[in-house]
Amino acid sequence: MNHAASKNLNLTLKIWRQAGPKQSGGLKTYQVSGISTDMSFLEMLDVLNEQLIASGEEPVAFDHDCREGICGTCGVVINGQAHGPDSGTTTCQLHMRRFHDGDTIVIEPWLAKAFPIVRDLIVDRSAFDRIIQAGGFVSVNTGNAPEANTTLVPHHVQQDAMNAAACIGCGACVASCKNASAMLFVSAKVSHLASLPQGQAERSKRVLNMVATMDAEHFGNCTNTGECEAACPAKIKLTNIAQLNREYMKAALLSKE
Amino acid sequence: MGVTGLLLCGFLVAHLAGNLLLFMGAKPFNEYAHALHSQWELLAVAEFGLVVLFLAHVYLAVATTIGNYRARRDFYVLKQSKVPGRIIGANSWMFASGSVVLGFVILHLIDLRLGLRSSLQYLPETDLEAPFKNTLAAISDPISRVVYFVGVIVLGVHLSHGFASAFQSLGLNHPKYTPLIKIIGKIFGVIIAVGFASIVVFVPGMWR
Repeated sequence: MNHAASKNLNLTLKIWRQAGPKQSGGLKTYQVSGISTDMSFLEMLDVLNEQLIASGEEPVAFDHDCREGICGTCGVVINGQAHGPDSGTTTCQLHMRRFHDGDTIVIEPWLAKAFPIVRDLIVDRSAFDRIIQAGGFVSVNTGNAPEANTTLVPHHVQQDAMNAAACIGCGACVASCKNASAMLFVSAKVSHLASLPQGQAERSKRVLNMVATMDAEHFGNCTNTGECEAACPAKIKLTNIAQLNREYMKAALLSKE
Repeated sequence: MGVTGLLLCGFLVAHLAGNLLLFMGAKPFNEYAHALHSQWELLAVAEFGLVVLFLAHVYLAVATTIGNYRARRDFYVLKQSKVPGRIIGANSWMFASGSVVLGFVILHLIDLRLGLRSSLQYLPETDLEAPFKNTLAAISDPISRVVYFVGVIVLGVHLSHGFASAFQSLGLNHPKYTPLIKIIGKIFGVIIAVGFASIVVFVPGMWR
């Protein structure tokens, strides 16, 4: 199959290599050649790793799973931009046709105090899991599913909730924020559940606990720069952060919990 | 940050309105100053409130900036914005611009609230001409004139992000009003910067 627009790229890669959490790291330069423009960014890294393994060198460790932009596992900073130059895409959805022959690409892991480096491009994002454990859930009774039409949700409310629920928890918001703030992530979860009837029971407790956990995990504060919104592959909006602020103030001032 | 910032914006409006009387000459400005100072009980409360607001704003700025710096910890070898068209924005420089404004405010208070500059000829407060003459002396001083000019321009930049940002922090975001608030924030920054800067640029030459 010879695609008309397809061509091969020769690239210089500068990749962050770090043997472990306690070791110091640095950028290491590699050359790759014959990279098809139809490849995804991760496939390009696969090619590099095959090359490294063949030469007896340790391959570059990077996180990935579904490779179709829905799991939130992959994510690296490419030339200073989380998930690379495209908007609304994850690293696995980025195609090599976005680059030119002879380009130098700098690849770094997510950097934040709350996301310690595990190895090379892999960071520990379990702080997000602990925030979810603190309140990102609803309590439902077991047994038969309730009659759907007893709880009506207007279409626009359902749309807002669905748009917030689109967050895949990849951490690009934290990585791109100069303050390493997790406000976009937390606001997506809080807005999603606060918009729906099922989320009402734990509404106040949820926002208070999730914000407290976010602070305890050493994420920074939001200064409304909007970098997170621009970097988010799921296109989570800043309006969610305003809603989080409203939910938090309401719960802090009025809730008895 | 948002609450203290917006309340301080309210002070800026009142302060600019009063100071623009400098363009009208000595008599209106002195009358305004004396009318203000005659209500000393209210003035004392207002001044105390301003000091509390200002210190709270500075404290919160320092505390959050230290927290943010610690949370970021490591900086990228290469960093580029993904916001379309953004190269450098006022929002990244709020602490720096705020620090410049703080420096300007300190000199401004030394010049005109405390009257401590030995190089300036102050009239005693009992003199009916004192408000206008002392203000003119301060804004005619080359150091103060430059610092005031830079201070108010940087303040305008600070407000161009700060005004709209405060609404977002307070949860006041709405598809109908947020675009308008952002535009008002930019216009407010320009009005405050141009308004105050015009005083230090033109007033000393007008009333020699």
